[in-house]
Amino acid sequence: MTPNSQRALVALALAATLGLAGCAPAAQGGGSEPAPTAGGTLTYGRLASANDLDLHTQITANNAFAIDKIFESLVSFDEHGKIIDWLAKSHEISADGLTYTFTLREGLKYSDGSDVQASDVKFSLERNLAKQGPLTLTAPISEIVTDDAAGTVVMTLGEAYTPFLSELTSFSAGVLPTDFGGKTEEDFFKAPVGTGPFAVSEWDPAGDLNFVKNEHYWQDGKPLLDGLDYVFVADDNQLLQRLNAGQIDAVEQVPAANADAVENGEATKLLKSDSWAIEQVFFNTQKPEFADVHVRRAVAQALDLPGITQATTFGTARAASSLIPPAIEYSAADAFDAKPVLTHDVDAAKQELAKSDFADGFEATMLIPSGNSARAQIAQVVQESLAPLGIDVQIESIDLASFRERFKAFDYDFMINSGQSDAPDPNGLVTFQADPEGFSNSFWTHYTNPEVTKLMHEGRTTADGPEREQIYTDIQRILAGDVPYIPVYYSPNLHGTTAKVHGLESLPNGSVRFQDAWVEAK
Amino acid sequence: MSAALRSLPRQVLRQALRVAGTVLPVMLGVVTAVFFLLRLVPGDPAVMILGDRATPQALAELRAKLGLDAPLWQQYTDFVSGVLTRGDTGDSLVTGVPTAELVLSRAPVSLGIVALALMLVLAIAVPLALAAANRPDGFVDQLVRIVPTITLGMPLFWIGLLLIIVFAVNLGWFPVGGVGAAGSAPFEPVRSLVLPALAVALGMAPPLIRSLRAQLLEVTEAEFVTTLRAARIPERQIRWRHVLRGAALPTLNLLSVNLAYLIGGTLVVEKVFGINGLGTLLFQSISTRDFPVVQTIALYCAILVVLVTLVAQLLSALIDPRLRGAR
Repeated sequence: MTPNSQRALVALALAATLGLAGCAPAAQGGGSEPAPTAGGTLTYGRLASANDLDLHTQITANNAFAIDKIFESLVSFDEHGKIIDWLAKSHEISADGLTYTFTLREGLKYSDGSDVQASDVKFSLERNLAKQGPLTLTAPISEIVTDDAAGTVVMTLGEAYTPFLSELTSFSAGVLPTDFGGKTEEDFFKAPVGTGPFAVSEWDPAGDLNFVKNEHYWQDGKPLLDGLDYVFVADDNQLLQRLNAGQIDAVEQVPAANADAVENGEATKLLKSDSWAIEQVFFNTQKPEFADVHVRRAVAQALDLPGITQATTFGTARAASSLIPPAIEYSAADAFDAKPVLTHDVDAAKQELAKSDFADGFEATMLIPSGNSARAQIAQVVQESLAPLGIDVQIESIDLASFRERFKAFDYDFMINSGQSDAPDPNGLVTFQADPEGFSNSFWTHYTNPEVTKLMHEGRTTADGPEREQIYTDIQRILAGDVPYIPVYYSPNLHGTTAKVHGLESLPNGSVRFQDAWVEAK
Repeated sequence: MSAALRSLPRQVLRQALRVAGTVLPVMLGVVTAVFFLLRLVPGDPAVMILGDRATPQALAELRAKLGLDAPLWQQYTDFVSGVLTRGDTGDSLVTGVPTAELVLSRAPVSLGIVALALMLVLAIAVPLALAAANRPDGFVDQLVRIVPTITLGMPLFWIGLLLIIVFAVNLGWFPVGGVGAAGSAPFEPVRSLVLPALAVALGMAPPLIRSLRAQLLEVTEAEFVTTLRAARIPERQIRWRHVLRGAALPTLNLLSVNLAYLIGGTLVVEKVFGINGLGTLLFQSISTRDFPVVQTIALYCAILVVLVTLVAQLLSALIDPRLRGAR
C-alpha cells in the first residue's frame, strides 16, 4: 500500500470516529478558555526517540527537542523568532560589536537545587567550542571572562560577528554545571542537570523519555505540569489515532494531509506556526546541464510553485519566493512575492532553455528520499512540468540513509530536500547553502558566486540595521536569479493536541515550549 | 505410553545434540549474511546520528569512536569473536546501550504477541477446521473456504488498521496502540496485545485451517478409523482421540514452518500498533544503520527459530510413536 492510501485510510478512520457531528470545531461557541490548573502529566507522542542528551554533540530534532527542555541558554527566541533574554536578565553589545556583556538573573538554580554560577557559562561554552559538534559556536570568540559575585559573563570577539547573539539562542549554548557537578561526562549525560523546566526521570534511549517538573525553575510557578512524557510511536498513522482516541495528549508532528482533520476534529486541535525550514529543489551544478544557469532558470520558470504547494501541503504551507523564510530576520519573501525575480511562465521557460546549450532538452534523474509522500508528489509535478521543455525526468526514490550518502557524494542530478536554519539570523542558511568554501559546498550543489561570497562575509560583520538588511536582500535576489536551488515552500510546524490541552507554545525551530502547558482533568 | 516416556530422555538428549550441531552453523551463517548484507547497503551511521550539517571532522571523529573506520574484516571478526567468546554482541551505535540489553528489553512484548497469536490462531483454526471437516461442502466448509481467501489477500498492516478502526477507535474495546502505560491496570498490557496478535493470527489462520481440514478428512477415511467404527467405538471418541491426533502432526509441522511468518508478522504489526518491541527496534535500527542491533536481532531470531523447531520435533515425537527412535 502506498503512503497515500494509508493516509486515505487514516482520514477514513478519523471521519468514522468523529462521526457527522465532528464537523463543527469544538472551540466555537464556548468563548472563554478555562482557567489554567497546575499538576498532571502531559504525554507527547513523537516519531523518534531521544537517544543522546549531550547538548554539544547533537543536532537532530529527536534529541534537540528533548535537550532544550533540560538545558537553557543566556538568550532565547520567542514564537516569532525574536531574540529574548533568558538566563541572562539583560545583555549589552559594545558599539564596535566586539564585546558582549550578559548579566545573569538572580537566584538561578539547577534542577538539583544547586546555584548557577557565571563561571558555569564559561565552562559550558568552552566545552561547546572544544567539541566542535554540529551546532558549535562559529563566532570568533577570543575570551570569556566571568564574575561569579556580580553574575556577569563578558565575551570578546576577535572581529565583529553579528550572528553571535542568535547563535547563543541555540540549545547547544545551554548552561551546565562546571565539571558536570563532579560526575563523569558519561554519567552526567545519563541524568543531566540543567536549568530547564524539566529534568529526566526515566529514560529508555530507544524508547520513551519521562520528565519531571524542575522544582527550582526560575520562572515563578512554572512549569504547570508535574510531568511530561515523551512517548515514542514509530508510525504517524498510529500517532494520530492515539491522539484522536485521547490516548496521548499531543503529537509532535501532524502530516499536512491530516492537518484539516485535526484542526476540525471534535476532540483535537491543531497548533501551527511558521518555521525556519524550507522545502527546496537542489541542483547539482557539477552536472553539465545544471551548471548552465539558463537551464536552472528554465526549470524554475516551468514550475507553478503556488500550485505545487497547495496540492502537496493541502494548503498548510506558503509558496516560497526566497531562500530566507519569513520567520527569519531580513527575509525578502514578502518583497519577492510582490515582485518576483522569476515568475511561473512556461513560454519564458522555453525561451530561457533555448539560450542554453541544451535547447532540445535532456534526461535527468530526480533523487528523493522514500517514505515522504509530499516529496514524491512534488517530484511527479516536476516531472510533468518539465516534459513540455523536453526535459525527461526519471524519479529515483531511495531510503534516507542512502539518499544522504548519494547527495553528499555529489552523486545526483537534482533532488528534493529541505534547508533549515538553527537560529533566527539569515547568516545560517546563507552560509550553509551558498558558501563554496564551507564543507557542504553550498549544500552539495557546488554553487559558487564570488559576489554572494563577498556579501556573505559583509553580512556577518555588519551591525544589525538597514545596511545589513540590504546585504541579505541582495544575496536573496542573486540566489533567486542564479537558482542553485528552487525554494518551493516554507514548511509550517504542525503539532496536534487534544481539546483538553492548553498553553503549548510552538517555536519556529520545530520545538514546543511546555512551561505554560496544562491539561484539563480527564 | 510408559515406554514412550522412558525413551523420552534419551530422545531429548539426542535431539539436543543434533540441535547444538545445527545451531552454531546456523547462527554463524545468519550473522555473517546479515553483517555483510548490511554493509552492502549504502548509508553512513555517523551521518544518520549527526545529521546533514555535521562537519567532516565531526563525522570522522564519531566513526573512529564507533570503530567504523576499522577495516571491514576486522569489524566482522571483532563481532563474531565477541559473540563466541563472551556472548557479547556489542553496543548500539546510536544509543550506546549494549545490544543484548536492548533486544532483551524488547523481547517480552514481541514474544507476548507471538504467544497470543499462536493461541488465537489455534482457537480460530481448530474449531473451524473441525466444523468444516464434519460436513464437507456444507455451509461452514464453504464459508471456511471463501472467507480466509479474502483475509489471505490482505496485507498484514491493512488488517491491523482495520482492527484498530473497528475495535479500538469505534468500539473502544481495546487501546489504539502501545502497551499499557506505566501505572495502568495489570491486565492492560495483555489487552493491548490482543489486536496485534489477532492481526497476525488472521493472516496465519487460512493455510492452517485448510491443512487441518484436509488432514481431518484424510484421517477420517483412513482404514484404522473404519476399523474403529466397526468396533463400535463411539464416534465422538474416534474423532477426538484418534482423528484429531492423527491430523495434529502435519498441522504442528505446518505451524513450525510458519514460524518465520509468525515472527515476521509480529515485527510488522508492531509498527502499525506503535508497539515498541523487537520489530520497531529492527526498523529503527535499519533506518539509522545501527548495524550491531540489527545483527543481534537477527541472531536472536535465528536462535528462536532453531529452538522452536526443536520443540516442534519433540512434540511430534510425543504425538506420533512412529517418529520415536526412527532416526
